[in-house]
Amino acid sequence: MSVAASTDTYENTAISARLISVENGVATNSGTLSLGLDIKLAEGWKAYWRSPGEVGLPPEISWDGSTNLATAQILWPAPERFTAFGIENFGYNKRVVLPIQAVLETAGQAVELQAGVTLLTCSTVCVPHDFNLALTIPAGAGIDAASAALISEFAERVPLGPDAADIEVETAVIADGALYVTARSANAFVNPDVFPEMGPTFTFGKPDIRTNSAGTELWAKLPLLASEEQLPLLQVTVTDGSRAVTAMPEWSNTVPDAPFELVANLPDLAQILAIAAFAFLGGLILNVMPCVLPVLSIKLTSVLNHGDKPSHEVRNGFLMSALGVLVFMWVLSAGILVLQSVGITVGWGLQFQNPVFLTIMFLVLTVFAANLFGIFEISLPSGLQSRLARSSVRDGYIGDFATGAFAAVLATPCSAPFLGTAVAFALSGRPIDVIIVFTALGLGLSLPYLLFAWKPGMVRLLPKPGRWMLVVKWVLAGLLAGTAIWLLWVLMGVSGVRVAVSVLVLAVLFVLFATIRLPGRYTRTAALAAVAVLSLALPGTLTPPPTIKEIGQDWVTFDRSEIPRLISQGQTVFVDVTADWCLTCKANKTLVLDRVPVVDRLRDEKVVAMQADWTRPNPDISRYLEAHNRFGIPFNIVYGPNAPDGIILSEVLTSDAVLNALDAAALATDK
Amino acid sequence: MIDRQCDPNLRLRMDTKKRSTLLTIGAILAGYTALRTVPSLLPERLELVPLDTPIGFRKYVAGETSGGFDPFVGLGNVDSAEATARKAAALKRVSEDICGALYGGLETTASKIPMASFSDYYCPFCRVQTKRLADMSQEMDDEVVVAWHELPLLGDSSNLAAKAALAAKRQGAYVAFHERLMKSPFQATPEYLRRLSDDLGVDGTQLVADMESAEIAQELENSAALARVFAFVGTPALVIGRTVVQGQISDKMIGQIVELEREEGWGVVCVSV
Repeated sequence: MSVAASTDTYENTAISARLISVENGVATNSGTLSLGLDIKLAEGWKAYWRSPGEVGLPPEISWDGSTNLATAQILWPAPERFTAFGIENFGYNKRVVLPIQAVLETAGQAVELQAGVTLLTCSTVCVPHDFNLALTIPAGAGIDAASAALISEFAERVPLGPDAADIEVETAVIADGALYVTARSANAFVNPDVFPEMGPTFTFGKPDIRTNSAGTELWAKLPLLASEEQLPLLQVTVTDGSRAVTAMPEWSNTVPDAPFELVANLPDLAQILAIAAFAFLGGLILNVMPCVLPVLSIKLTSVLNHGDKPSHEVRNGFLMSALGVLVFMWVLSAGILVLQSVGITVGWGLQFQNPVFLTIMFLVLTVFAANLFGIFEISLPSGLQSRLARSSVRDGYIGDFATGAFAAVLATPCSAPFLGTAVAFALSGRPIDVIIVFTALGLGLSLPYLLFAWKPGMVRLLPKPGRWMLVVKWVLAGLLAGTAIWLLWVLMGVSGVRVAVSVLVLAVLFVLFATIRLPGRYTRTAALAAVAVLSLALPGTLTPPPTIKEIGQDWVTFDRSEIPRLISQGQTVFVDVTADWCLTCKANKTLVLDRVPVVDRLRDEKVVAMQADWTRPNPDISRYLEAHNRFGIPFNIVYGPNAPDGIILSEVLTSDAVLNALDAAALATDK
Repeated sequence: MIDRQCDPNLRLRMDTKKRSTLLTIGAILAGYTALRTVPSLLPERLELVPLDTPIGFRKYVAGETSGGFDPFVGLGNVDSAEATARKAAALKRVSEDICGALYGGLETTASKIPMASFSDYYCPFCRVQTKRLADMSQEMDDEVVVAWHELPLLGDSSNLAAKAALAAKRQGAYVAFHERLMKSPFQATPEYLRRLSDDLGVDGTQLVADMESAEIAQELENSAALARVFAFVGTPALVIGRTVVQGQISDKMIGQIVELEREEGWGVVCVSV
């Protein structure tokens, strides 16, 4: 028998929603279910978190009319921050699945679920929704893999408790009309946000979030928009990319200093100067590239040959050429700013943890390195080239200006590798960085013109074009290739070997397609586009779920045959059968197993904690469960010298129950 | 003329095969940008579609449609027989004199365009719209005038906040009330209302009495009936003269609609006003 573990979809212009269940049937002896309210939001629509921010309403589910349902608890995935018209809201867009941990009244019996959902969604208009979703889950067995995957994905985003998370919320204090929160984490913060919850009477404005230079300490200041004198308990959620913690720090009295300058938000002056210096140097080096130097020489020679011009005119002419170069760079930066404002970077977070960004950068660098090594060439259409060249020989300042601008354009076959790289990096920067970088690049490229404007005699210092330029080209190509390899290595860390290898293969394909002659005029373009699109889609689809499956260091992987041996040695064995999609298992882990006193007890050398991961079908584990007449999880059991057949614990664990079972199973002297 | 070949030694070849790489990369980027930018760069167009009902009114069509909803779902509205009857009565009352219900009590002239604003305390954009309409009616004192409606779609607290706002309106403090709510979110407690009244300089006892009055109950029923007549799907909603607007709209566009209403004479649908 197979029943789709999902309700019909409630659908309108803003949302489509359904109730899903991991379990197709309530397994024998199983008293819990993992459900999810799957909400898809149309473009531009948003739904709210349990604390919606300044205004708004959280989704609510009424279970009136359900049978055999004791409790149902929504687990809230970490929200995103939306700022529109100066209003701060917390919620979800595109898609969210609210995992629901349901406890049954009678284990093993069919459940009829009646979910009355009320939900506010807003785009430019706020539309409330009020609908019912009915789902019957019969007694039976079976796991719906798709639902399980979906619920796991969003259950992963539910903030951890303070004990389990690697982010520690340290202090919180209200002073001077603002809430200050500090937190620390051994793993550096990348793109942190802070969501305080103090009940409906406290609302907060846009946060000022700073991290120290190592990124391990976070300081946040949230202006209080509305408050009361009586301070309630504070619950604060700190998110950072895919990790999040919800903690309830004690109120403190001392306002934490903002000891760090705005490291995360504002690179300091020295940093900007360093970047600008590199860009300047890069621009200068561009001058000796094979495409640029000859253009420069020809222009200079032609100007100097007309020795009859007054010197101030020559000087102004060079200045105009320099301006031309700069204008080209500014046009380029304007283009980047447009791209940025269109939102290309939105949601990239910190780029070096973003597989898509890494892939793009890797592709760009590989293609350009291949180009510099001479595997293929990037060039402007010849028609355009000659037209540009013709127009730049006009007389007068306009002609000089055009020379500069067109020299920059004409140089693109050689400078593209650097401009392209700079563009790609600049996409992730602030507008001011973009402008500074490209202005510096332009100044570097136009330095010869500026020098000759200052002292025309310096023309003699200009190196002659020759084979040495090839060396420069190869060195630069080597640098680009090195950077590309480094990026690939980073990508491997973020997305795993499989993605990195695939991206590498696709990059090689791209270069191949660019090099070899394909039949048909558009075949090549199409092939190149296809490879590019494919490699961009790849990391996004292949990366999640994270391949690194952490099994806590205190836990050993489940091995049924080991249990009798361990018991015979006088050990006590605690077995936890769990799965990513099992919400009750997660609750057990966070609330009981990972907490004092149970966690200390499990670390005891007389206790072996085994974890059986049933996220993916595993016949060994299934048979093991069946042997204990169980068909669903959570399943926790304790074996020991006093209990060789095991003491089965209830699905919803308590510390006392776990400790008592461990005591009962162990030899009396071990207590 | 500058030689096309940069350096004879290197022979930068210009055959068609080689050149398209740059173009391909450019085309991918440009296409994506165009896709994302162009719609937002196009100037907003004033596109109006006549409504079947009520006759004479028309709808401003924003870039995206707001159709496809069950019109006017309120949260947690389980109606008793009595409530249903009252709703029907309100619908009849309003349908007989739509303009009166929309703009009742406003001093309008042929050149002074009335606007009816429908908002809900818990709707984020309503807050923005209320503030902007208030500013606009102050700056363009001779040109526009606003009738404030409350359309509490979002449950009990929303309803109470609406009653308090309308009670404040009776003492001339509607906009001040909404601005004040930004400093301390609405609570349905007597202390809160007293504190709020003191801050606004209105009579607190009167405010509480008005909140429970039959007039305010009827005013809310009228607004809800209007929302039904105009098939509003949510808040904020706005009627300018005889043009219906759903959702957020730019000041510039409001200005254009006001201008159009003035030219065309908005009063044609409201002979009785």
